[in-house]
Amino acid sequence: MSRYSKIGFSGNSEPSFTLPTVVAVNESFLDQKELLNSANWIAQYNAGIMADLDFFIGDEALSRSRSSVLYTLRTPIQNGQVNDWDTMERFWQQCIFNYLRCNPEEHYFLLTDSPVSTPESRECMGEIMFETFNVPGLYIAVQSVLSLSAGYAYLKSISDENSDPSSDMTGVVVDIGDGAPHIVPVVNGYVIGSSIKPFPYSGSDVTQFVSQLLQERGELLPPEDSLDISRKVKEMYCYTCSDIVKEFKKHDKKPDKYIKHWSAIKPKTGVPYTIDIGYERFLGPEIFFNPEIYSADFSTPLPELIDRCVLSAPIDTRRALYKNIVLSGGSTMFKDFHKRLQSDIKKIVDERVAATNAHHRVEVRPIEVNVVAHPIQSYAVWFGGSVAASNPEFYEYCHTKEEYEEHGASICRTSPVFKGMY
Amino acid sequence: MILLQSPSRFLLQILQDRVLSGEKGMDIDCHTVEFDDVRYHIQFSMRNPKVVVLSVALPLPPPEAILYDGLPLGAIEAIKAAYGMVVQILDPPKDGFDLTMKINLTKLPSDEEQRNAILTQIASVREVVLGAPLKVLLRHLASKTVAPNVNKLVALVHRPNESFFLAPQADKVTIVYPMRFQDSIDIVLATSFLQEFVEARRTAALNNVPSCMWSPAAPLELKGVPSDALNANAGFVTFVVYPRHVEGKKLDRTVWNLLTFHAYVSYHVKCSEGFMHTRMRRRVESLIQALDRAKSDAEKLKKLVHGGSFKRLVCTLCK
Repeated sequence: MSRYSKIGFSGNSEPSFTLPTVVAVNESFLDQKELLNSANWIAQYNAGIMADLDFFIGDEALSRSRSSVLYTLRTPIQNGQVNDWDTMERFWQQCIFNYLRCNPEEHYFLLTDSPVSTPESRECMGEIMFETFNVPGLYIAVQSVLSLSAGYAYLKSISDENSDPSSDMTGVVVDIGDGAPHIVPVVNGYVIGSSIKPFPYSGSDVTQFVSQLLQERGELLPPEDSLDISRKVKEMYCYTCSDIVKEFKKHDKKPDKYIKHWSAIKPKTGVPYTIDIGYERFLGPEIFFNPEIYSADFSTPLPELIDRCVLSAPIDTRRALYKNIVLSGGSTMFKDFHKRLQSDIKKIVDERVAATNAHHRVEVRPIEVNVVAHPIQSYAVWFGGSVAASNPEFYEYCHTKEEYEEHGASICRTSPVFKGMY
Repeated sequence: MILLQSPSRFLLQILQDRVLSGEKGMDIDCHTVEFDDVRYHIQFSMRNPKVVVLSVALPLPPPEAILYDGLPLGAIEAIKAAYGMVVQILDPPKDGFDLTMKINLTKLPSDEEQRNAILTQIASVREVVLGAPLKVLLRHLASKTVAPNVNKLVALVHRPNESFFLAPQADKVTIVYPMRFQDSIDIVLATSFLQEFVEARRTAALNNVPSCMWSPAAPLELKGVPSDALNANAGFVTFVVYPRHVEGKKLDRTVWNLLTFHAYVSYHVKCSEGFMHTRMRRRVESLIQALDRAKSDAEKLKKLVHGGSFKRLVCTLCK
């Protein structure tokens, strides 16, 4: 499904554009052989010449692909990794020249990358940026570290108390966007690569699940729009409950308070229709806490996975990690998501502490569990990047074009963030 | 996208959102930069929900260009003519900017089409301000009158510290661009692009467009210009514009295309590089396929990490 790219200039507090990462290309001229008829040849030559510029990105791509058969949609990013560099290069080209409208030779660029991406993909990124766009400097940041700094910057801006400098860049980042969700522990700004845990369900799975539930109940959804409608339903009406059983009872007792309606018009016939939205409202986000309701493949709930992740981190960092669990990504913005996550994790941790106390007859200091939520979660990574790039020392961390010319694309392979503290 | 668009997408998006959201919404305070070092700062605060403040900073003018009071000749008149009562120029402009305007949302026309037209015009403020002297000269051409400074060479701001030259006459205007690029690959690609550009003009369908020439040395029109304005490593492009190219609606588009010529060439050079990379990648894949066929079956069972584990031939091909 479509994942969103957030692009903008540093120093601003929100991205200039948030667009789906899709490209609609016109492939009709790609493989045609030359015809012998010369007049036709000129037309084909011209069309072939322009065909590489005949593409759209973002929302325009989605609407063009629906309205015209000529254009096919391509997503360059699957599961958080780029697997189609041609499309990615075209996407970036349009972002820079059509949306941001800046000259890449005048600006340093900050790109972000998943913590589990390969060094080769970072090399490709660097290559495209330096070779095609001639950027003077490039920094490839790790998304989790930027989310942490976004959370920290936001909290600092709303509270007056002095923060503890050692704790600001330590925390667990729960990044659940539309791509591949990961739980990443970061200590003092360094990612602990061996403790990263993937979670298989993301925002698009919640959409799938909502769509499944609606169809199972017999709601009449036009099939070509069903995913689109489910996504809008998810964004507008879904929330996280604290207990499924109680929630079912609440819905059954007062249906008119909880059941919402969605009215739309069927695209093919023009007939208006209404569907009811009931249990899906809280069952959708529930797949994070009870994955078995969606699919039997995976049954570890998210709070337990976060707990396991912290336990696999070095022992002296665990208290700091529990204290600063930061959410990022659009799918963590369900109402009360952070409260449910915090209470579930706290339950697991308290049980363990109680067992230790009973077994060893000691009094362990209770562990503080804190899940940090803030209103800019959906573009927390972008905001962290904006903050990082506004720092005057940013320019020293970037790979520069001179380094690229001297050493080649391999300079982009590693990020200092992975070098570690040990 | 073949031609660069005139209105700034970002400004237009913000203005349209602001008009649509009416009473609600959040404060906005954004800086943005456009090619050729034009900077915008747009501000909106809920304390004054009907007013948006937009500041524009222009590129550093080269010594030979003419400016009047920090703005290009004729800019203030052009703004008043284009926007009417909707926009009020604030004097002095904000610190670090050359022009500050206050946009009054209540004075926008209520008809949606007209409103969108004015908002698009506001988002094209760069074309209005920087293009003002060019528009004045081209209007004289359209009306076939003789402008006050005829036969003199006029230098207009093109990019930071660079200008392009106009030689206006009664029946045509000759425009010369010295083209400069920083990267050595860009220089080569731009030179061949510009030569192809001139060649393309010869095809039958393009008889009515302004004639276009390219030369590696400065053409005769630039006789009196100081030599440091003339070092162009990708040659000189000359356009000859006739009155039929600037009548009516064509004037705005002609002005925009002429103003941003370097950005246009630079954009197409980058697109060409991207296209070449696509072909290089396809070539690498076909070569890797050939190598794969040579592998024994046991090795083929090992899954390759996507991205390829062979040293990228593309790196060496690019050097």
